[in-house]
Amino acid sequence: MLINALLIGGLYALMGIGFSLQWGISGIINLSYGAMVILGSYLSLTMFDFLNIDPFISIVISAAILFFLGAAIYRGILQPLIKGGIIITLILTFAVRLVLENIMLVVWSANYRTIRLSYAGYSFQVGNAYVPLIRFLTFIIAIAVIYAVYRFMMGTKIGKGIQAVALDREGAEAVGIDVEKMYLINFALGSALAGGAGALWASIYSFSPHLVGIIVGKVFIIAILGGLGNIWGAAAGGLVLGIAETTGAVFLGSEWQEAIGMAIMVIVLVWKPYGLLGKKFFK
Amino acid sequence: MFINGKTNKIFLAVCLIILIFLPKFIPGYGIRILTAIFMYAVIAQGINLMSGYMGYLPFGNAMFFGIGAYITAIMMGKGITFLLAMFLGGIVSILVSTLFGLPVLRLRGHYFAIATIGVSGALLSIVQNTTEITGGAMGTTLPIIDAPPKVTYSYFYWGMLALMVVVTLVISYIMKTKFGYGIRSIKANEEAADSMGINTTQHKVVTWVISAFFTSLAGSIYAYWMSFIAPDEVFNVMIAVHAIVILLIGGMGTILGPIIGAFIIELLSEVTWSTFLEYHLAVMGIATIIIVFFMPKGVVGTFSEIRKRGEIKRRKKVTI
Amino acid sequence: MEETSILKIESLSKHFGALKAADNVSFEVKKGEIVGLIGPNGAGKTTITNLVTGALTKTDGKVIFKNIDISNLKPYQIARKGLTRTFQVVKPLVGMTVEENILVGSLYGKLGRNTNIKNASQRAKEIIKLVGLDKKKDFLVSDITLPDLKRMEFARVLAMEPEVVFLDEVMAGLNPAEVDEESRLVKKVRDEKELTIVYIEHIMKAVMGISDRIIVLHHGKKIVEGSPQEVANDPAVIEAYLGKRYAKEVKNEEAISTPG
Repeated sequence: MLINALLIGGLYALMGIGFSLQWGISGIINLSYGAMVILGSYLSLTMFDFLNIDPFISIVISAAILFFLGAAIYRGILQPLIKGGIIITLILTFAVRLVLENIMLVVWSANYRTIRLSYAGYSFQVGNAYVPLIRFLTFIIAIAVIYAVYRFMMGTKIGKGIQAVALDREGAEAVGIDVEKMYLINFALGSALAGGAGALWASIYSFSPHLVGIIVGKVFIIAILGGLGNIWGAAAGGLVLGIAETTGAVFLGSEWQEAIGMAIMVIVLVWKPYGLLGKKFFK
Repeated sequence: MFINGKTNKIFLAVCLIILIFLPKFIPGYGIRILTAIFMYAVIAQGINLMSGYMGYLPFGNAMFFGIGAYITAIMMGKGITFLLAMFLGGIVSILVSTLFGLPVLRLRGHYFAIATIGVSGALLSIVQNTTEITGGAMGTTLPIIDAPPKVTYSYFYWGMLALMVVVTLVISYIMKTKFGYGIRSIKANEEAADSMGINTTQHKVVTWVISAFFTSLAGSIYAYWMSFIAPDEVFNVMIAVHAIVILLIGGMGTILGPIIGAFIIELLSEVTWSTFLEYHLAVMGIATIIIVFFMPKGVVGTFSEIRKRGEIKRRKKVTI
Repeated sequence: MEETSILKIESLSKHFGALKAADNVSFEVKKGEIVGLIGPNGAGKTTITNLVTGALTKTDGKVIFKNIDISNLKPYQIARKGLTRTFQVVKPLVGMTVEENILVGSLYGKLGRNTNIKNASQRAKEIIKLVGLDKKKDFLVSDITLPDLKRMEFARVLAMEPEVVFLDEVMAGLNPAEVDEESRLVKKVRDEKELTIVYIEHIMKAVMGISDRIIVLHHGKKIVEGSPQEVANDPAVIEAYLGKRYAKEVKNEEAISTPG
């Protein structure tokens, strides 16, 4: 059971990081994030149904599509109104969510779908527990992506540029970094992570446009737990949420799942406002 | 909003009189839509006071709506009259906002907003799981008034209308007092406000209490109106999001913004629902984006800006 | 009875982990004085201000104002008792006009309990005239220059009817002519309103002409206290501002020039 919690935690971690980056660095509370995740799920589903591409491969395509979509949304809708403050951009992302949700409802209908893989039933044994193969693969890929994002942020020129802007916008500007471009790429990256997470979600859980709100709720909590903009924090937050939900469901019944998430969030907020790991930015 | 204060007041008075007599002339369907408009205006005013004027966004304000609704349902279930039940709901909301206000209002900007969602979510779960008292996730009913539909609709219409007028007048009055200046100073620069002798904690809590109280009353009327409520309906974050959209479109930090915004959004929603049923969401989304793009300060805000700029231009010409 | 101090600071300390932003600082301020508080950047001047006005919690020490221990009071309570401050980086109430800013000070200051808007408005108008801002009173704070913003903050503090004012680097960013003008205004206001002023600066010239007494901080500690003359010639002060080498040079010069 703990293993299950961990595996799910990995997926949550991946989901949460994108949202956390968008909020912590680009300064946008993206209420359409859930829609982006589910869109990633649907894209993978479609590629699986029509082109027979395994979701663990098509994740790259889903992520890429969401990357460009995110960039377009940021450049076209959010960037012009950023000076209006965070409430305005929040409402704009809400509006975007409505549009995306509607599109998905029309194209794919509200029915719950999932990707049935031929190897879905396989699992292997670790000690006393059975580890389902798909969840394990998901976990591995999630961790790999998280690590890749970390290396990107630390190692590449653009990544360091984003980091610089996050730490000191004016300083970064003074050094000649194109601040707006960094915010844009960061946001697009967040969307790509959403899409990727959605692709992974598709083969484990069933999904429908109705999930967009619930997912935003989850990533909200993860971002708070981890500290806005903090990659490893969000990863930790994802794991904590995964564990909390799973244990909560077992001990208290699944109705209390939401409440536990909420309760943890409020406690963290009052006790350690910068997140469990204590600092706002990458360390 | 218009040429001068007096014309403004006369215009509003006329509008109010029209609204009072309107139920006689429109079908039940129209009465219900307007009641919903008034209700959202009240909720938006609650958020307006906190966010538009003081700069603290209470994302979880819907919890007071839920408290009002549920206390009313439970009390009326025990035989208490509606008005008393509504009042009790208000008291509970005052207590909750005071209790949580003290720790939560210390958090900065976004964190306050999220903490309120957290408290709201926790409250939702509690209500869902205390089935004996609240009926749990399945909801609970309220007594039905024994009268023809149009008559009962009219009662709730006038109730919500009265509430909307009262909350608007109250906020309008507050913002003209010394306390109102304190509220505005908190939004303008909280650290400076502290250093100037303003007890910011007290101001913040009291403001939230007022906001909570009126939101609670709206919830009470809603519960009685609907005769049936369920936890995830009245403790829903979406209520606040909806109210925030209304507030933004109408104009944050303006007295009439929430009312105008409610009219715009609800009427737009009705029109798109009947015309574009399948694309209802997308149309609302796109419409919201367009309005925010062209009028980021909201309808009332933008007109207000235009008028102020005109005044400053005229004054500058005189002094220089 | 001897002249009592209106403000006593005893062993005030603030530690941020290993960093001692303020280290055992003690001094007294007498009613009606202008006390200069100087020191190089990072010496702890603003830290002391924040500690005294309650904006920062103390690691150790006491603050006694008008014979009352205010060490544990909140900023707004201290402000209402008559101990106020301006900010090094101005903090105007954004979105409001100059007049409104000063009005808020008037509404919430020492007389705050018994004020209605009409009276406060009246007082605000008087203050505005006193500092010379009446031409700009209807301007939004976002539309005025930095010197005016600083003056407005000064006015805002005056509107609170304070007894002691900590002016935190009111001269920063002003050119020499503006500095002179502000100095004259501060003296005039002090005389007319019988204020006590703690004048924080790191520009020596501004403080010298205006202070009755000067206290010098360095690395969070008080290193020298005395008249402007004494302080200007004190080797420790020179060392703090200009470094050890220069101080040595000054010492050598003195040794050579004093008759054996």
